[in-house]
Amino acid sequence: MYARHVPDGRLRRLLDEPFAVPDRDVAHAGRCTRCRARLEAIAGDASSARRLVAAPAAVQDLDVAWTDLAARAAGPRRVAALRGAPRRRWRLAGTSLGTGASVAAVSVAVAGIAAAATLTTVFAPTAVVPVPVSKADLQPLAALLRLAKGSANAFAQPSGSSALPFGTVSWSSSGHGEKVASLAAAEAATGVTVSLPATLPAGVGAPSSYFVAPKLTATVDFDSSAGAALSGSTLVVTIGPGVAVSYSGSGGVSGVVPLAVAAVERPVATSSGATTSELESFLLSQPGVPSDLAGELRLLANPSTTLPVPVPPGASSSTVTVDGSQAVVLTDQSRVASGAVWVGGGDVHVVAGLLDAKDLLGVARQVG
Amino acid sequence: MGVGIELVHDGTAAEIGPTTGGAPSVGAARADGRAHGGFERFFHEQYPVVLRIAYGVVRDAHLAEDVAQDVLIAAQRRFPDPLGSSHAAAWVRVAASHLALNSVRGRRRREDRHGRARMPCAPAGPEEIAVVREEESQLRAALARLPRHSATVLVLRHSGLSYAEVAESMGVKIGQVGTMLRRAEAALRKELTRKEVDRDVRAPRS
Repeated sequence: MYARHVPDGRLRRLLDEPFAVPDRDVAHAGRCTRCRARLEAIAGDASSARRLVAAPAAVQDLDVAWTDLAARAAGPRRVAALRGAPRRRWRLAGTSLGTGASVAAVSVAVAGIAAAATLTTVFAPTAVVPVPVSKADLQPLAALLRLAKGSANAFAQPSGSSALPFGTVSWSSSGHGEKVASLAAAEAATGVTVSLPATLPAGVGAPSSYFVAPKLTATVDFDSSAGAALSGSTLVVTIGPGVAVSYSGSGGVSGVVPLAVAAVERPVATSSGATTSELESFLLSQPGVPSDLAGELRLLANPSTTLPVPVPPGASSSTVTVDGSQAVVLTDQSRVASGAVWVGGGDVHVVAGLLDAKDLLGVARQVG
Repeated sequence: MGVGIELVHDGTAAEIGPTTGGAPSVGAARADGRAHGGFERFFHEQYPVVLRIAYGVVRDAHLAEDVAQDVLIAAQRRFPDPLGSSHAAAWVRVAASHLALNSVRGRRRREDRHGRARMPCAPAGPEEIAVVREEESQLRAALARLPRHSATVLVLRHSGLSYAEVAESMGVKIGQVGTMLRRAEAALRKELTRKEVDRDVRAPRS
């Protein structure tokens, strides 16, 4: 039977999606010298175009991009990135300052814009990873930020500041951590939603207490002791707010919390002038940071999006999937207590209790 | 004041201009709890595609991010419930292509005075970098000269979209995509060849 020559468009598709092309066309293209010659020419053009146009896989972290989008949408609108010269993000139209503004107002605006212009998100976790921590690691780490012993009490204040070996840290919180009457009250106070499990393991009673944690913002101003890369830069870390719910035991035993469920807005760090790798390099090289731990942290594939979950001595860890996210599950030596941590929907979720890992995961998967 | 994007679905026109109305409240979405969770999911699904499409045209990671973010901000205003929309995904893809093409048209005469940020696969040697930059410069210029629908089909297809997705994005039948792509690739070759000929002709004079 005579077969018509295969149209150009179908020959083109044959290169990309051969199973979508009718068998008779495939057979014809295979035996018709004229169609084969056209196919070769089409393939040559397609190959050149692919080589030139095909972009490598996008690498920008999605959660960082989402944070950027929020900042852009909330900030002064730019009139098109797309018209001007190549630029970094945050460029603002100079004309928006207004010709009639006073010099002072312009100066203040420029200073504010300059500060905003250099803010970069350096940490916004989207995943968790277990990092073993030994007893020997814990003490020097706490000492690093002078949070050990007496100094730790300073953070109990809603706001304040403290000297660091490499600058100063100041912090403020949106309120006090407190117990509230209901989950609805906790959610209303924080904007964080918590899904409570519908089915509970044996031994776990009803929710008994609801807690809210305020949003905490800490600002580290690095001075010249921090070295040239960080000197003069600022690191702003926010965490929270969060909600925690604790459960009572079903047997009427008081004083024991068999299960707690919590969700906290994930920590986000932004920096003016320093990159994630510069900050990581500096912090991990501080005296007192154990070299083994520093090595573990340096192995993180993407430190700006990975939340390390410390695995204390004696505990074991495993990773499972909860609600499409990787969760770290920690279990104590006796397998009586366990906990799971994961990041999802912009929150860090924690479920912990006097449960074995199987029961705990059953709860986590309802919460997630 | 916000940035407005108006697209004609057949890919023949795209305009960017100021519009009235409040800025999209992505930040507020977080504060509202999960009121805009649908858009966040849409963002996570579409942003990588949009970024890849934009980068395919502008060849500059930062500018591609700008394009992608502008498109998603505009999409949020246009599609309050993008997951429930049958054409939100198609819209952001074509919008990315059009905005990126608009940007290179505005940049054609400002080539490479600044170092551009690339996706991390640039060759290491200075000669190779120079060759790649020259190719990218020529590509941007060629894409800018092609008819809009030809440039769009090239960019969409070579950013990894299937024929079905390209058809959906451009509002054409799937059977037309192969023909459009073939013509666009041939036109691209001709544009690049013409550019080379022009350069060779000019070279002896200078």
